[in-house]
Amino acid sequence: METLRALRYSFYLIFHPFDGFWDLKHEKRGNLKAAIIIVFLLCVTFILRRQLTGFIFNTVKLIELNIFLEISSVIVPFLLWCIANWCLTTLMDGEGSFKDIVITSAYALTPIIIINLPLIPFSNVITAEEGAFFYFFNSLAVAWSALLMVIGTSVVHQYSMRKAIFTCILIVVGMGIIIFIALLFFNLIHQMYWFFYSIYKEISLRM
Amino acid sequence: MKPKRCMVLLIAMMILLSSRAAYADAPYNSYTYDYWGTPVPSPAPYLPIRIIDGTSLGVGNFSTPMDIFVSQDNKIYVVDSGNNRIVVLNERFEVQKVIDGFVKDGGRDTFSKPQGVFVNEKGEIYIADTDNARIVHLDAEGNYIREIGPPEGEIIPPDFQYRPTALVEGKGKRLYVISQGVNQGLIEFDKDGVFRGFVGAPKVSFNIIDYFWKLIATQEQRERMQDFVPTEYNSIDIDEDGFMYVTTSTISESDIRNAINSRSQDDRYAPIRKLNPTGEDILRRYGYFPPVGDIVFRSRGYAESGNSQFVDVCVEPYGIYSVLDKRKGRIFTYDSDGNLLYVFGGLGNRMGTFRNPVSIDIINDNYLVLDNITGYITVFEPTEYGKLLKEAITLHQQGKYDESTAKWEEVLKLNANLELAYVGMGKAFLRKDEFDTAMKYFRLGNKRDYYSNAFKLFRKEVVGRNFGLFVMGIVVICVLWWLYLKRKGRKEVRM
Repeated sequence: METLRALRYSFYLIFHPFDGFWDLKHEKRGNLKAAIIIVFLLCVTFILRRQLTGFIFNTVKLIELNIFLEISSVIVPFLLWCIANWCLTTLMDGEGSFKDIVITSAYALTPIIIINLPLIPFSNVITAEEGAFFYFFNSLAVAWSALLMVIGTSVVHQYSMRKAIFTCILIVVGMGIIIFIALLFFNLIHQMYWFFYSIYKEISLRM
Repeated sequence: MKPKRCMVLLIAMMILLSSRAAYADAPYNSYTYDYWGTPVPSPAPYLPIRIIDGTSLGVGNFSTPMDIFVSQDNKIYVVDSGNNRIVVLNERFEVQKVIDGFVKDGGRDTFSKPQGVFVNEKGEIYIADTDNARIVHLDAEGNYIREIGPPEGEIIPPDFQYRPTALVEGKGKRLYVISQGVNQGLIEFDKDGVFRGFVGAPKVSFNIIDYFWKLIATQEQRERMQDFVPTEYNSIDIDEDGFMYVTTSTISESDIRNAINSRSQDDRYAPIRKLNPTGEDILRRYGYFPPVGDIVFRSRGYAESGNSQFVDVCVEPYGIYSVLDKRKGRIFTYDSDGNLLYVFGGLGNRMGTFRNPVSIDIINDNYLVLDNITGYITVFEPTEYGKLLKEAITLHQQGKYDESTAKWEEVLKLNANLELAYVGMGKAFLRKDEFDTAMKYFRLGNKRDYYSNAFKLFRKEVVGRNFGLFVMGIVVICVLWWLYLKRKGRKEVRM
């Protein structure tokens, strides 16, 4: 019941972001469980959108659904954002803990869910000429969530708006750096593996 | 059933299922590309039926023949470049005439490595006499009429090398000539043989990434890079309305790849263009992919790599055109909207494959493909599948939708993977106002724009039929909403 109340709070939050995020953190109006549910719902939304969007607007190959890929396409950027956010804001005197960041970021994603879910049936009853509405609402959802992300960052870390925007840009850069390092790391591990494997093979063949 | 009997049945079934008799006699794999860009096997649309060479014709072997042309009265002109002659055949492939020279001003004159020929509706022959840098104009009997030399004018640079390789006669007896190494487009001569200018110059392909690299490159690196030069044409054909189809093989692999990936519809990186007399491109590119030949090909550096390299184009009735790919020896045929109909042919040493194909033309629905290494002309005859496909398209173009639906149905029986056939069926049902059936077929054919049109009409029909229901639904929702608000208001008052 408490989780349900926390989930319902997201409807209030997206229309009153400044108060909303403040209460979210200080009045404990949200919790981690609700945040996880929101991210899960986002995964579900993305999969439904991929499979059920009307034929006119859907240009993906429906038979090639990889559910793990779809889920990770939501979870990985989300976690990257949270980690980069935490890394940067700890250095920049942010007030929020990692848990706060996860909760705030998850709540900020609500518009994507509540706009995209009705858009799925809607896209099945409109023609290509009316597609402008579809694309408008699609981008509206993203823009709204992005705005909430910035406001959330500013409220949870007690930043001024300018600093929050600047931080968000840095976070995106930070996400890129994390990806780069991760790729580098995996590449090196891979090469090391093959190096030792070839040594092993060489020795075992000569013995 | 006894297990033994089961086994026999199973083996019989396996043998039956694995028989591929229908494909056995084609020396190549035929295919089309689906909406996703995957090559999908198709029945062979054309099969080789005979090979013609100079010896069997009794005129001696062809030596690097460069061009084959079918005139309107179904005579075949072969430009036997190495032997400096034009061999004229009738439609039964019998030699009618060998033109190896002509009488000019009382003296005998000959050709020097001619590379192209064009015959107008009166049977007059134009020969691109390449190494002599001139166009020779002969009458139907092969008597000399005139010659047209290099273009002269202010815009021609002094070091201009004139090597005409292909030409057509357009409306108003104007000549459009392709010259090797010229990238300003087609050279246009008026009916008196006076140079009028260049037409149809391809736009300079300009790529922002190339530009960036050029900015940061050193002087030496820059010199080794390709310049931003317009592409040069290598072959030309003209349709009955006077539109010219030209091909080029100088567009880079990465530009072709970009055009494929963006499903480009403009002529920026188009290896085939359809020019109107003022030189504008008007080719319709509404297929799933632009007409660039193969959609899937390996990158440079691998075996059998690279995009298709068009060397010749041949125009067929109803806006259908075929292009010949030198790199893989394949023939790609497109309809007037740019949909790929079929692909056949290949490189090899069997009948129906080529070593270095250079020219293609069509006579009575049979393709003639000229190979300049072997000197063979291969004749391809349509199979039942190929015939049905073309009939379905031409019937649709003529507005005979019922008959075209019947043909498409038969095409689908032979090749259920042909999305074009589903689209064709869909269009026919759309014309007959059967919108939901049309939608079903457009969906199978992955044709979203037509699907949207059909859906729009379908929706209108459904809404019209159930108008009362819709109005009632809206009223009910309004009433419920009003009741809800009222109840909510009362609750708040009580609180």
